[in-house]
Amino acid sequence: MSRHSSPVAGRRAKNKKTTKARIVAAALALFQVKGFDATTTKAIARKARVAEGTVFNYFPTKEDIALHFLEQEVEHAMATVRANKRLRKAPIEEKLFALIETQLEFLAPHERFIGAAFVHALRPGSKLGIFSPSAQELQYRYLAFVQELVDDAVRRGELSGAGWWTPHVFWIFYLGILLYWLHDSSPGKQQTLAFLDRSLKIGVTVLGQI
Amino acid sequence: MRPMSAKAKTPSVGARPLASATAGRTGQAVGSLLQRLFPTTSATGRALRLAGLTAGVTGSYVGYIAQRLFLGEEWGGKKRRSTHAKAGRAIRDELQLLRGPIMKLGQALSLHTDIVPEEMLAELTKLQMEAPGMHPSLALAQFKASVGRSPEQVFQRFDAEPFAAASLGQVHRAVMRDGRCAAVKIQYPGIRAAIENDFRWIRNITLPAQASGHLPKKVLDEMESQIVAETDYVREADHIEFFKSALKPLEFVVVPDVYRDCSTDRVLTMSVVAGQHLDAFLAKHPSQRLRDLVGSRLLELFTFQLLMLEVLHADPHWGNYLFNDDGTIGLIDFGCVKRFGSDFVGSLRKGFLYPGRFDSPEFQRIVQEQFGGPGQTLTPGAQRALADFALRFYRKVYPPDPKDAERAFDFSDPDFLRDFLRAAGKLTRARPGANPEYVFMVRAEVGLYTTLHRLKARVHTSAIVRRLLTESRKEHRAS
Repeated sequence: MSRHSSPVAGRRAKNKKTTKARIVAAALALFQVKGFDATTTKAIARKARVAEGTVFNYFPTKEDIALHFLEQEVEHAMATVRANKRLRKAPIEEKLFALIETQLEFLAPHERFIGAAFVHALRPGSKLGIFSPSAQELQYRYLAFVQELVDDAVRRGELSGAGWWTPHVFWIFYLGILLYWLHDSSPGKQQTLAFLDRSLKIGVTVLGQI
Repeated sequence: MRPMSAKAKTPSVGARPLASATAGRTGQAVGSLLQRLFPTTSATGRALRLAGLTAGVTGSYVGYIAQRLFLGEEWGGKKRRSTHAKAGRAIRDELQLLRGPIMKLGQALSLHTDIVPEEMLAELTKLQMEAPGMHPSLALAQFKASVGRSPEQVFQRFDAEPFAAASLGQVHRAVMRDGRCAAVKIQYPGIRAAIENDFRWIRNITLPAQASGHLPKKVLDEMESQIVAETDYVREADHIEFFKSALKPLEFVVVPDVYRDCSTDRVLTMSVVAGQHLDAFLAKHPSQRLRDLVGSRLLELFTFQLLMLEVLHADPHWGNYLFNDDGTIGLIDFGCVKRFGSDFVGSLRKGFLYPGRFDSPEFQRIVQEQFGGPGQTLTPGAQRALADFALRFYRKVYPPDPKDAERAFDFSDPDFLRDFLRAAGKLTRARPGANPEYVFMVRAEVGLYTTLHRLKARVHTSAIVRRLLTESRKEHRAS
């Protein structure tokens, strides 16, 4: 029996996962209430009922916690779109809509933190920034998925004008939507839904006619 | 609630441009719309085209009745049919992209059977039936954002594909947890803000018409408040419950039940009302007897609402009614309820079936009350136009002599609607004042008569009106 498959190792791995999840949940709750910058690792450890050193074992910085959360968000959105059978036959604008909408829904309880993380990501050297290797890795995984959707649409004749650059443009569009969503004070953030719907339709029409 | 074609049509470009681009694009669209509507090289056509983005636009609602009616004669025989159909399609597509009040312009146009040629009418009629749809992901997101739970959590079953379009949203079938069938109306997100933007634009662009008095500010205010109010589904739910109780005396009318716990200001869950829209109903070639019955009931429903309740459930265009083979009429879409002032209805009571001469001082007093509004005296020209209107149209459709009570008016007569619209055109050109209640009333009547005309119904108009007049006068006195 290999070491990893022993019951003790399995329990240990499970405990590790639970502790990690507890730290992330504690951090997110504090980010939302106190704000990203004002939250200390000490406070996170206290709320998660672990030693401060344990927090560092899992996440060297607060930005790593944020990055972990964003990774969860992206994985969740991609898995949701993949698992939705109805969407397989849907036009590309609906697939992209569903992708972003699922992301926003995941982010909704942590809006304040996302706002702070957005600003944080713009600081040079930030781990959340577009030039940080860990953030880039996540971004590429996301864009590869968008490319998959775009390729499928090209095959179906929906997006004749799409190219290698399409997912990159989509990424910038996504950041714009995120900013719009953060500032949207309409009930149920319905302005964001409308903006997302209309702009995707325009974008897809343009790419379908080139 | 209007039936959709099998598949909700997705517009070829964005349903509505981004806010910043709205004015420009809408302006262009209306410009080209006008050019397509009036592709003539005649002097009138050129003038209209020149009017382009300014006065021409006042045509959207009220101005349309006021400024375009005289075009009726010009259309006859001059245009080729294919051009009409093509223009109609183009206009419909354009209007569908714009949504909001401009789409309502299309609906208003489709009621003007005398001005708009048959082929174009066919295309515009679809506007009432085929509003551009939200794709399922958007409808689901809007439901969840509004109700706080997803449709799967609320209903036993929910159909992600819509089965009908409403001008501000679309309707989905669902089954409640207790097994009852429901119709769930979901509003397009952000529609209220879009309408407010459109009106800002309409106000700017119609400044010349406002200054000249062709489109008074209060008429615009009335239009805006009506259309904005339509976006609040809680208000619509209140209306449904009001009509459910108030229309009980009319046993042939079916009003849906509201399921409040699954409804919000942007989502309205109701019981399903059975019936077919006018086109589908007529396609089955209903017997003359059935058409007469349904037509009589429509007139009774209209008059009952007006005289007894002093309120109308909606713009009576045929998209708001469902017809059944047993003669029952389902009412849908209670977004656009209009309450009339008691004074206005009081003057209607006096004017309906007026037996005397229309140039008599008494009749002049009645029309002054009805159309002049407070502090506004009608010009002699307007008085004459009103008398002429009453003589040419109302006396014909509603003969006041009780001896004629047994005579049914035949709404299939192609001349009557044309006469009505022409007389209304003359009247509006005479500008008898712009009482907003009158504006709504004319819109409502156009809708009613167009529907009766399409039904080719023979209706005992005066008998119905006389009975309701007597009842309402009795009730009025009692109250």
